[in-house]
Amino acid sequence: MQKHRWLALAASFGLVFAACGGTTTSPTPVPTPVVTPAPATGTPVPTPVVTPAPATGTPAPTATTAPTGTPAPTATAALTPAVPKVPTGYTELDKALGSDKPYAGKTVDIQTQWIGGEGANFTASLADFEAATGIVVNIEGVGSSHETVLRTRIEGGAPPDLAMLAQPSAVVAYGKENKLVDVATFMDPTKLTAEHQATIGNLTDGTHIWGVPYKVDVKSVVWYPIKSFAAAGYAVPKTWDDLMALSDQIVAAGGHPWCIGMGAGTATGWQATDWLEEIMLKTAPISDYNNWITHKLLFDSPQVTLAMNDAAKIFFTPGYVAGGPTSIIATPQTDPMDPMFPTDGTDNWTATTPGCWMQKQATWYGPDFFPDVKAGGAGTVSKYILGQDIGLFYFPTIDPAEGTPVEGSGDTLLVPAPPDGSAVRPEVEAVAEFLATPEGTERWIQAGSAISANSTTPTDWYAGAYKLQVAADIVAKATSFGFDASDLMPAAVGAGTEWSELTDWINGGGTNPDTKTVLDAIDASWPATP
Amino acid sequence: MTGGVRDKDRDAARDDTLRRFLLPIGAVIGLAIVVFGTAFLYDKNGAENLLAGIYQLLGNNAGATALRNGGGDQFVAKLVLAAMALLVGVGGVWLLYTGVSAVVGLLSLRKQQRIIPWVFVLPAITLLGIYLVYPTIATIYQSFTHGNNGAALANPLANYATLGTQDFPHVILNNVIWLVVATSGSVGLGLLIAGLVDRVKREALAKTFIFLPLAISLVGASVIWQFVYAYRPPGAPQYGLFNAIYTAAGGQPLDWVHTQPINTYLLIVIMVWLQTGFSMVILSAAIKGVSTEVVEAARLDGANERQLFFRVIVPMIKGSIITVATTVAIAVLKIFDIVYVMTGGRSGTDVIANRMYDEVFQFNQPGIGAALAVILLIAVLPVMYINLRNLRHQGVGA
Repeated sequence: MQKHRWLALAASFGLVFAACGGTTTSPTPVPTPVVTPAPATGTPVPTPVVTPAPATGTPAPTATTAPTGTPAPTATAALTPAVPKVPTGYTELDKALGSDKPYAGKTVDIQTQWIGGEGANFTASLADFEAATGIVVNIEGVGSSHETVLRTRIEGGAPPDLAMLAQPSAVVAYGKENKLVDVATFMDPTKLTAEHQATIGNLTDGTHIWGVPYKVDVKSVVWYPIKSFAAAGYAVPKTWDDLMALSDQIVAAGGHPWCIGMGAGTATGWQATDWLEEIMLKTAPISDYNNWITHKLLFDSPQVTLAMNDAAKIFFTPGYVAGGPTSIIATPQTDPMDPMFPTDGTDNWTATTPGCWMQKQATWYGPDFFPDVKAGGAGTVSKYILGQDIGLFYFPTIDPAEGTPVEGSGDTLLVPAPPDGSAVRPEVEAVAEFLATPEGTERWIQAGSAISANSTTPTDWYAGAYKLQVAADIVAKATSFGFDASDLMPAAVGAGTEWSELTDWINGGGTNPDTKTVLDAIDASWPATP
Repeated sequence: MTGGVRDKDRDAARDDTLRRFLLPIGAVIGLAIVVFGTAFLYDKNGAENLLAGIYQLLGNNAGATALRNGGGDQFVAKLVLAAMALLVGVGGVWLLYTGVSAVVGLLSLRKQQRIIPWVFVLPAITLLGIYLVYPTIATIYQSFTHGNNGAALANPLANYATLGTQDFPHVILNNVIWLVVATSGSVGLGLLIAGLVDRVKREALAKTFIFLPLAISLVGASVIWQFVYAYRPPGAPQYGLFNAIYTAAGGQPLDWVHTQPINTYLLIVIMVWLQTGFSMVILSAAIKGVSTEVVEAARLDGANERQLFFRVIVPMIKGSIITVATTVAIAVLKIFDIVYVMTGGRSGTDVIANRMYDEVFQFNQPGIGAALAVILLIAVLPVMYINLRNLRHQGVGA
């Protein structure tokens, strides 16, 4: 099962073809410039607005340092409307895209957590679809209180038509409460499963599919200053021992190897779970990892303890973390990498030594969090180029026996059940079906920031975006795939005690409270099964 | 003269006809406005559609279409919505009351006297029932079930049993600390300041400064105090007041709000800062109410200032002190905002209200959340009782 997951994800980049050999994926939308030119109506030039990602400054025009080249996405591809070709394999989507635009003027509400740059990318992802169908998609980007607002609306009987959620466990929980519509009731489950093999298993209870995977992130990456590494003669570490040796080397040179900042308001502590999961994947068999998610393997087990001890080496070794262990929780999650950049605010990397050298953070991270963009406000383009100034490497292997696993997470589209018991409106189904297609993320991919959860997404869409290339490369070499464990555990643990207890553990320097106390406390909070 | 009387009779008869027929019609119209208006307000696109209709009548078809598609003059549509809300809320209710009282006016005087109070009280009772009594009962019921669906628990008391495990006892203990320290802190300080400034020249000015924080919301105050307690790594400039002083004195910067156990008390300081002004104003007014004869008599009897304050003034304003203390205590028991903003309940600072929110909205354990709510309700009830009884006593005394 797990094997299948990563294979399917790998296939999503088209880098491992053999994997999905068995599953006959339905008409692959290879972007041949065949027609259906934004049907009939002659709508005003389909979005020349969304050009491929100058905003994020990602696609290094000179891809000299990029490991996997293929730069410059063809300009023609950007001008093709990002809507799937009919027949799409989905009933309502086909109707919506019909030349008579049966749903024109209908409004569909979707609530998401995305605001700012992410919100703009999602809006862009839907723009062509709206132009082609006439459906008005009303996007409500809520931000950090998204989950609370969504719960209030769903429990209160006034849910949005559609919503996004990052925690599959929460999606399934809503499903069990009969608050959601089984998407298999209006979408072909075989097609859906075949195209989202890596992630859809997290959304089903065996009989129902409670959501559609939309996009995925790779978490097993470390951000680092490429030019400073070169100037200091540091090599990208390939193994845990390399990583420790490099860390010691940086400390010996008077620096601090790690940039860690976990302050996230009421969500403080979630990054600590990522660390633990990363190390778990690389020190224990994937079967242990999956048993851990379902609490068949306790937190207070040799495997988790071992992972905690490894994390402790990075968190608490004197000199390792810039600002010392106290800074880990006290530094906002948006800021830990600030000391990495040249202190004079220029892009002259050789003049100064970074205040910290490495940050472990998922692929959703990027120039939006670089100091020049934060100082410049919305719309600022960072002068630091991904792939030239700031790079990513795979968080190295720890136990060679466990190979090169990769940790990922993802966002899920869910369809709340209409409160009056009526059927889901066809235009809502059409939007849901559109978001299940690769075209539903096409514009976001072009912005260099998203990886579609759909495995039929053409590989060349990712070409030219350094971050996505690295992610694709990591996934291609992965020997197993673990979905973010805390997002799959019951929320009382995965978004509750695991966050708060690990926060306490880090603040107490790993000794006050000690590791066993912390792990026992998390075990004790595991909810009794209803 | 006789003609005049007849005219009056005729007027009265006409008035009677008016009352008999027009006012009930008014009541029906009022009811209709409330019903249709509510339906209009409930319709998400009601205002847009109404305005679009008006535009169409005026021949502005483009504007109408734009509005129907969620564009166009959205601002004007918002104004229409606001106007409708006013009309329905104020006008409808007014019409309803007038109409119903007119209808009751048709009955015999004795019946009127029996019915009229209910007519005016019933809406308030209904609203209280819907928004206060029903949720309370529902919450109590939920606390014995699994939560949202009302799914039964094998052991109905399981939620309460859970509250004895994990860190829940610590959470409840934190509320006790808050109750004792924050209440006594703000009432004590308020009393002290009220006594001290009583005969100061610029009393009003001094009181204004103490009172000012009360105007700040709990969230706003928390954000301000986040800066006071702010942490920056060693070597970086310390813009937090506490760490600036602490490092200047030679210490290593501390992450104050995450340092146990002092952090809970540091959060309480924020509440005291906010509530002292409230206590001071009420108690100051009470001190002013102590008659000068009593004070002078005490002086003549040889009481010094301290004796005068603690033996004479404080006992005389005991009622006010109890009222202030219970009012502050209720606010403190329900404390949520400060903890949510400052720490999110991390590092041993969690309190009942914040955990209740977490259990319901974050952890998907609404049954446990409901049990916490019931505990909080039980804790608040006696304080409310004392508060109300004291108010009644004062009312009788006045």
